[in-house]
Amino acid sequence: MLVYLKIYRYNPEAGRNVPSFDTYNIEAEPTDRVLDLLEHVKGNVDGTISFRRSCAHGVCGSDAMRINGRNMLACKALVKDVGTEITVEPILGLPVLKDMIVDMEPFFNSYKSLMPFLINEDVPADGKERRQTPEQLERFEDTTKCILCAACTTSCPVFWSDEQYVGPATIVNAHRFIFDSRDQAANTRLEILADHGGAFRCRTAFNCTEACPREIHVTQAIAEVKNAITSGGVEH
Amino acid sequence: MASKIKPSFETTAWRWMRYSGILLIPLAWFHVYLQDVIVGVHAINIDYVAVRLADAGWVTYNFFLLLFAFAHGMYGLRQVMFDYVHKERTRRIFSILLLIVWLVISTIGAIALAMGARPELVQ
Repeated sequence: MLVYLKIYRYNPEAGRNVPSFDTYNIEAEPTDRVLDLLEHVKGNVDGTISFRRSCAHGVCGSDAMRINGRNMLACKALVKDVGTEITVEPILGLPVLKDMIVDMEPFFNSYKSLMPFLINEDVPADGKERRQTPEQLERFEDTTKCILCAACTTSCPVFWSDEQYVGPATIVNAHRFIFDSRDQAANTRLEILADHGGAFRCRTAFNCTEACPREIHVTQAIAEVKNAITSGGVEH
Repeated sequence: MASKIKPSFETTAWRWMRYSGILLIPLAWFHVYLQDVIVGVHAINIDYVAVRLADAGWVTYNFFLLLFAFAHGMYGLRQVMFDYVHKERTRRIFSILLLIVWLVISTIGAIALAMGARPELVQ
């Protein structure tokens, strides 16, 4: 089938200061991925097109982009699912550096502000590992699936307009430790999220849940964090 | 871990928004059902309002309706304001202004409800 591919172009270093679109007609299979089309253009037509990709199998999360207006991983979006007219743009809300490449620094700074690592000062009971029941794991397992692609955060209308909002991905990754029975800093994280720019900026638009390529129940995770804050914290 | 987290202003404001939202469902819908379905808009006149506002129970009901609806709306307006105002100081000024507006309008509304309707002034 013939695919009409429209690619966002912006490269101030090469004189393309004004964002515009380049268009291509490409012969593709229905099972081709949008990433395959981009690779085809970059390899055979125009080598200056820039986009991030690494594993190309939906694990690294580097090729999140807006495909026909929706945030997706280019390596997971199939032509048969997105149609034969495809528009590819960078994710919204982060400064565009070049074509589909955005500055992820604000996103990762927000992520780091919630201490996304296990905090436990005690020595494990057996001196080796901190054990957990299947039920305790189940409490936060969904949010461990996050690959930090930023598809959720950059689909959030609150994040687009308010850079002080930490964004869904940060809350998801805080959730992963807040409800982990082995962690001891849940309430410190909840206090940060209870403040300005925290969980209460979420308006439950559900864009994040729809955008997540890992099918994490993002809005539900945010709601659980809100509940934890209003009920005075989490006790393990 | 036993320590409770300190309640923040944002937490209290959000909780107030949720509780007022829940309370508004019965308050607003019963109001609409009573006035528009049971009584009917054509049967409502100044005498009807005067009778209603002479009853302390209805005055309290209307006051809660005003208070919760307005507080709920003000919280929403504050969230929208945050989308457009990004400086911390300006945000604080607008938040205080919204609080003042809420207090003033609620007080005016409460006074109006307490004074009731006086048909003799209309006729």
